Amino acid sequence: MSAELRGTPAAPGVAIAAPWVYDAVPAGATSRLPLPEAAALAADEVVGIATRLRDQGREAEAEIFDAQSLMARDPALHDATVALMADGTDAAIAVVQAGEAVAVSFEEIGDEVLAARGADVRDITARIARIMTGAFVPRLERRSVVVAADLPPSVTVELDRALLVGIALEGGSRTSHAAILARSLGIPAVVGVVGVREAAATAVELAVDGDAGVVHVDPDAETLAHLAVITEVAQARAGHDTELASADLATSDGHRVTCAANIGDPADAAAAFAAGAEAIGLFRTEFAFAGRTTAPDEAVQAAAYTEVLRASAGAEVVFRLADIGGDKPISYLPIEPEANPFLGVRAIRLHDRHPELLPMQLRAILRASADAGRRASIMAAMVADESDLDLVLRLIADARAAVPAAPVPRIGVMIEVPSAVLLADRLAPRVDFMSIGTNDLTQYLLAADRSNAALAARQDPLHPAVLRAVSRVVEAAAPTNCGVAVCGEMAADPVGALLLIGLGVDELSMEPRSFGAVKGAVGARTLPDLVALAVRAQLMPSGADVRRAVELGA
Amino acid sequence: MAEAEVEVRNPSGLHARPAATFVRASAGFAAEVLVANLTRDASRTASAKSVLGVMGLAVARGDRIRIAAEGTDADEAVERLAELVRSGLGEAIDGA
Repeated sequence: MSAELRGTPAAPGVAIAAPWVYDAVPAGATSRLPLPEAAALAADEVVGIATRLRDQGREAEAEIFDAQSLMARDPALHDATVALMADGTDAAIAVVQAGEAVAVSFEEIGDEVLAARGADVRDITARIARIMTGAFVPRLERRSVVVAADLPPSVTVELDRALLVGIALEGGSRTSHAAILARSLGIPAVVGVVGVREAAATAVELAVDGDAGVVHVDPDAETLAHLAVITEVAQARAGHDTELASADLATSDGHRVTCAANIGDPADAAAAFAAGAEAIGLFRTEFAFAGRTTAPDEAVQAAAYTEVLRASAGAEVVFRLADIGGDKPISYLPIEPEANPFLGVRAIRLHDRHPELLPMQLRAILRASADAGRRASIMAAMVADESDLDLVLRLIADARAAVPAAPVPRIGVMIEVPSAVLLADRLAPRVDFMSIGTNDLTQYLLAADRSNAALAARQDPLHPAVLRAVSRVVEAAAPTNCGVAVCGEMAADPVGALLLIGLGVDELSMEPRSFGAVKGAVGARTLPDLVALAVRAQLMPSGADVRRAVELGA
Repeated sequence: MAEAEVEVRNPSGLHARPAATFVRASAGFAAEVLVANLTRDASRTASAKSVLGVMGLAVARGDRIRIAAEGTDADEAVERLAELVRSGLGEAIDGA
């Protein structure tokens, strides 16, 4: 009979693997870097993580790290740390103790939201201590059940998701960061398991039953058989959604549209294809630049891009050239502070100030294309007119001359600046595809800042003006060989997807988790029905009216 | 010495993003700025420049806070910070 530890179910499913214990600060470490420097580096690191998450549309998680960057520089935390060091306590231990005291005081107030912020205080102080002592977050080396007192968000996002199969925490609650993340990633998790760290120290294998809230230590044959039955039942239940996700993206009368994935990390490509993607419609390459202190060189970039092209097995991969700028600052690419970063020096506009950035990235993409023996699609962001396109085409021609072995790339532009909508008939004949970025197009068209919460209601891609802009781009492309895709949030919203197909868009690119819902909605309608809907929607007074009309099936 | 009392109307009180907005604004003043949550415990104060201190006041929606400042730009600091809280710290707040 194997030992059994009870906790609280946090994320469903069963995971069986070797335990891997995470400790915030390795015992016996001594600090080598003083507090102010370590705290500043920690703040930079979490800002980098926030940028990366934000870029993947993970705004809620990004805000966690924004708050942590402020905590790292908190004068009260620094004062408390210095006070603890007065009796000779090592700085790394002092900063962890100071953070612990704050976290406990938050927990004692009896407010659940505030108690959860205590985890952030522990996380950032542990990060500062790690930087002081020169310790790194250890890497998973095989499939593992991660065991810890609590798993801070910064560690969770850095763990290799392919190897992280289960989570068992001594502390935490169903609403802790780790539990929320585990559910969103589909990783079985149990929290509040008293004694699990001690058990993991000597166990060969742990079985996490996320439905029952139990951790089995070195499960015997009987337990394993029982868990196999549970797993089978769960898989049958999940089968229905998966079936829908791998179906065609098509109307009930057979009009097919390409179902593509947006990804922000090379590691996500394989999962996107497994989930039913026919192409990568938007590969945000900023990941290669964020979270670093120096620019990635050509070889580093090429290796990451090759990984994505190999995973694609011949399907199209659209590399969007780095969209870096005032709203997503990068420490080694200094950009002067701007009053309006969204209207500022970003994406291709950076070329004047950093003339090596785009040529190097283009060479890296073409080198990856040559190495993988696959054609790459290259897309430039923030193209406003033909002179911007001239620049992009010239840079691509130069890069091709430098990497003659690469297959001829497909070239596209992102349509997000309103001037590009008005000039779409001038751009379409000169490119292979246009991809409409509805998030930025909506904010520019409606003059509603994406980052201003007070204007959230105005940030509506279903607005008739946005629909007309999409229609205009489709019409401009119709007489040419240029395809039209949409890669903004609108494509992932079933209502938006119905309208885009009615407007004549050829490809919808979205986060893979939206495939099922979008395919289900589109499969229930006919093309003539959607065309009529899209025409009428353009005459409605507001985006809210459009949504109502579509949802009522009118 | 300048001070003002205001009600916090943000849905999640002075946690998370609103707290960060408040602390970033406070950091721009030379004056020492202290905050207290009058609804919870008026005797406990925190530096307005410490995000941990401000969060620790556990200011919930509907709580009244006191902002007090001392130093060269104290008047301006109190006036601006009180106005920032009244306007919702960059968040949408309903009802006046």
